Parts: sequence; C-alpha cells; structure tokens
Amino acid sequence: MTTKPLRQICVMSAAIILGACSSLGVEPWERDILAKEEMQLIADPLEVSIDEHIYFSKEASSGGRGFGGGGCGCN
Amino acid sequence: MSKQKESCIRATLASATCALLGTTSLTPVNAQEEPHWEFDTALLYYGENDDRVEDISFNALAIRNFVDDRILTLSLGVDSLTGATPIGAMPFDGPQTFTSPSGLQVKTRPATEIPLDDTFLDTRYALSASWQQPWGRLNTFSAGVSASKEYDYLHLGANFKLSRDFNQRNTTVSIGAAFASDELDPVGGAPMPLTQMLEVGNLSNRMGEQDKDVLDLVMGVSQVINRNLVVQLNYSFSSADGYLNDPYKIVSLVDPITGDPIPLPPTGAEQPSHQYLFESRPDERTKHSIYGQAKYYMNGKVLDASYRYMTDDWEIDSHTVDLRYRWPLSDRSYLEPHFRYYSQSHAEFYRTSLDNTAPLPVYASADYRLGEFDAITFGVKYGWKTESGNEWSARVELYSADGSVPTNLLIGDQAGREIYPDLDAIIAQFSYHFDW
Amino acid sequence: MRLGIPKFRWRVFAVTFIVFFGLTNVRGADQIDIASYEGKVVVVDFWASWCLPCRRSFPWMNEMQSKYADDGLVIIGVNMDTELSAAQSFLGDYPAEFTIMYDPAGDLARKFDVIAMPSSYVFDRDGEQVAQHLGFKVRQQDEYEALIIEALNR
Repeated sequence: MTTKPLRQICVMSAAIILGACSSLGVEPWERDILAKEEMQLIADPLEVSIDEHIYFSKEASSGGRGFGGGGCGCN
Repeated sequence: MSKQKESCIRATLASATCALLGTTSLTPVNAQEEPHWEFDTALLYYGENDDRVEDISFNALAIRNFVDDRILTLSLGVDSLTGATPIGAMPFDGPQTFTSPSGLQVKTRPATEIPLDDTFLDTRYALSASWQQPWGRLNTFSAGVSASKEYDYLHLGANFKLSRDFNQRNTTVSIGAAFASDELDPVGGAPMPLTQMLEVGNLSNRMGEQDKDVLDLVMGVSQVINRNLVVQLNYSFSSADGYLNDPYKIVSLVDPITGDPIPLPPTGAEQPSHQYLFESRPDERTKHSIYGQAKYYMNGKVLDASYRYMTDDWEIDSHTVDLRYRWPLSDRSYLEPHFRYYSQSHAEFYRTSLDNTAPLPVYASADYRLGEFDAITFGVKYGWKTESGNEWSARVELYSADGSVPTNLLIGDQAGREIYPDLDAIIAQFSYHFDW
Repeated sequence: MRLGIPKFRWRVFAVTFIVFFGLTNVRGADQIDIASYEGKVVVVDFWASWCLPCRRSFPWMNEMQSKYADDGLVIIGVNMDTELSAAQSFLGDYPAEFTIMYDPAGDLARKFDVIAMPSSYVFDRDGEQVAQHLGFKVRQQDEYEALIIEALNR
C-alpha cells in the first residue's frame, strides 16, 4: 500500500471516530452524575498507583491506563 | 453546614493528579481562593506465602489547588521490603548451595523446594511532583517529574500530557509521554550474562554500573456516552533500552537425562553446589497495549470495568480484566468488591533450566515473572466519610498466581516436579483522605 | 468575549421567560414582572451545585449585584440541578444575593444554546444580548466586570 491512501485512511478514520463521537454524549448541564467523585475514570489515584507498583513487580505488564475525560466538564 | 466536595480528575502517566476541592463551613464573603491542601494517605501491607516477600509501605499524595483549575500534586512513597524471592534455580531431590549476590557468603537451600534468595532488607523512597493547568478553554496540560531510590537502584523520570476536549467536552483526546532514566548498581556488581555463579570472594565476572532508559507514549480517547456512562480507550507504546536483566537471577544447567543440576567439583572454597548461569535478557524491549474502560452509574452504584491487552517483542502476551463494583451502604459509607483476572504467556527466552550438553541460547531467564501464569485477585474495600467530610477506607485483597511450565521446556526427568513458584499474597491497605 | 449568536430581542426574551418559567417549577415568590426589567442590564447565569467554577463565581456575582444594583444591574442565576435539594444545599452554603430561578428540565438552557457550565449572558437595557462568557475564571473577573460596566453605560 502506498503512503498516500494509507494517510487518507488514517485521516478518514480519525474523522469518522470524532464524527461518531459527536452524536454521543450529554448537554453541558446534564453532567451531575459524571461530576461525582466515584464516576471519575481514576477515582482513587493513590490506590491505582499502589496497585500499579504491586503488579509491575510481580507481572510482565504494566501501565496502559490513566487519562482525562468524563467528569463535570466545567469551564 | 456541610462541606461540599467536587472532583474533576485528569490523570498523568506516572501518577494521577486529582483535584478535590472543598470549602470550610464559614460563609464565604470573598471565598475566591482555594488556599488549602488535600491529602491522600495510605498504609499498605503486602505479604507472600512461604517466607517470601513482605512489604510495608506508607504512601501519600498532597494536592494543592490554585485558582482556575491549576493543580500541584506531590507524592511520596516509602517501602520497606524483606523476605526472599525465587532465584530461578531448578529444584531436585538434593540440597543446593548458592553464593550470595555480594559474593561474601553461601546459602544452602533444602531439597525439592524451589530455591529462594534472600532479598535484602531494603528501603525504597519514591517522590514525584506534577503541575496541571488549562491551556486555552478546551485544553489541559500537565508536566511532572519522578524519582525513586533503593539500595541498588535509582530512577529519574519526566512526563508530559496534553488533553483536548471536543463535542462540548463529551470527547477528550489525550496524548502523553514519559521518559525514565534508571541506574542499577547491584550488590557485588552486575554479573556478566550467562557466566557462572562463582565461589565466595570471586567477583571477576561482575561489571560496573548499568543503565536503563524507558520511553512510554500513551494516546487515549474518552467519551461520555450518556448521563450515566463514560468510556475510555487508550493505546500505549513502551520502549526500554539498556540493562534489562535481573542481576540476582540465575538459570540452572541440568543433565539432559536426569534433568538434575550439574554438580560443581569441590575445590575446598565456599562455592555454589552446582553450575548456575546468571540470566541474560535482550537489551531492548518494545511493548504495545490497548486498554479499554467503562464506568457505569446505576442508581447510586458504580461499576468500573476494564480490559487491557499487552503484547511485546519478547513474545509475552497478556490479558487483564478488572472489575470493581461500588455499592453505597449509606450516605457516608460504601462497600466495593474487586475482581481482577490476569494471564500472560511466557517470554520467548524463558527457560526453567538449560541443557548442559546443548549450545547455550543467546538469551535465557528462569524468572517466574516472565513465565506463563494466570493470576486472580479477589478483594473488598470499605469506605466511610466523617462528619467533617474526611474519608477513611480499608481494603483487603488476596492475590493468587498459578504458573505452568510448557512441556517443551522440560528437560530430562523434570515432569512432575513443582517448578513454577506459585504465588499467594495478601494485600491490606488502610487509607485516610483529609483536607487542611 | 464574543457577542453571542443568536441575539435575542427583548420581546423574544420576555416571551421566553413567560413561556418557560410559566411551565417549570418556580420556587418561592419569584414572579417575573416583565416591566420591571426594562431599562435594566440583565445578566443571566446558568449554574449547578456540582459545578466547581459556579461555586467560585457566586461571591463575585454577589459583589456585582450589590455594587451595581443602583445602576440598574439585575443578575439572574438559573439553576440546572435535576434535584432541588442539591441546589438548596448549595445555596445554604453559598447564599445568593441575586435572583435564582430553576430550569431542571433544561428548556431555557437549550433555548440559550448553553455550551459550557457555567455560562453568562449579558443583556443591555434594550434587551439585546451584548456579551457572553463561557466558564468562570477567577483571574478574569475584572474583564467580566468590564463587560457589565460597558452594558450599564450604553
């Protein structure tokens, strides 16, 4: 496959994903549940880092998680 | 009047930054500042079966909020480690003697038991700091540094992350990078890979300080599906370079017929009982992972489900399924059972022993952590909030890993021996979150 | 701060208030006397109890209301909580010295095309929207105040 069609596919995929995502979601004022502490993607960062350290020491895989999004979406 | 808390969390690579804000109950005439600290502290006990590793650690996160969503996070961890860990030697029906890593003494292990090596009484300190702030209305930027030190290991790291919101903040796209530059100075010196474990006082096959560099990249998308559901998908890439061996692990040379270790002829000196080679791993490792997570709110209860697939160029593949179910017992307390399933395939160069008569492979490691195993964690956490809004929690978890050795790795008469050091561990943690 | 689109003429604004606030659950004695808003500069602010920047904006809005009331400023905080108890608990901790209205179904927010929480819309004395700001940044308070002053002086 030459690079130009491959690049076009990548750009189209990104556009499709973002386009598909644009039909999902809630209004800015409907985020009361998403704003709750227990609904954050990482609700307890200290516990996550402790677990990560334990499993990193005992297993051959690590990481992969941990990013932003969800939440109250304020400001 | 009661305190109110709010969370808007965006996580970094190395450590998560968490914005938890509350105010005092005084009527805020001019409460435009949030000049206080929030602390997350945890005391952890980790203990394995059969005199293996025991760890007690204290961990703390301090979060300082500045106006307009700017956050400074500091973290500290102190670990105190004792106990023994499987050295990689093949068990057989006779005792085995090993020279200690320092080269100063020998230790003998009983017959048939999987030989362990005493981990040093070691204390590890870890610190990190990170800063997060908005950048324009829709972007968030964060940067951090980390460091850790133990007897024979120094880690230094830096990380960056950028997030942008789309679709009225229903979609968040993030990218992040972390760099680590580590130095190892093993006790006695890093042994030359695939050389023999020598007698007491002989450090001729030891090398100087070793380096290891790691680059981690993560790209992720999170999406609000509806009022009750948010999902996330991340792709991670990791590239490690340098000294990737465990300097204290060995592989036994065995007889191709009996599968037993080859005795070393006695010389009168204090020395190992059999021929053991220090392990050898490639000096590069590339990992790819895909991680997906969903958090679903069901009338007060929260289900957190995630799956991660990892594959690397050592031919290790792993699957991790993690489920948590948070179940409120009252306004102020909750119970959270936890289930985790992990399975990994063994590294391409994983060998439980080496045929004495065959040519040596370039790489070989008997480290059980590179072997083929399944692990299950069952746990439960109980949390409760005090009148003043501070929170306590306690959790207990049981971790159980069962390995298997593929028959093609068995040499001679090894079938039926207990070779893989199955692991059972208890994890107990007590946490306290408070404002100041 | 960009001028909002769409712009509302006063009559449309007034009709909106009559239609939507007539239908939603208006607490207390919040009767909207349309005539009393003519000639006033009105700031409509959408907020919720779970919105942290909203909490930061309350002391400032209280200050603005008391400082410019004599000049004809009226601040109306439109609450978006789906549960009234959450809003009331919030107001217990952060009393508002300006008018509070409730839009739990989100009808008014939709009409205003709210795309961020909190959002503020500034209307001049003729009922035309002259400014809006998305979100609330403590360090931009002076800029927000300048928009109000500008509307008061038109």
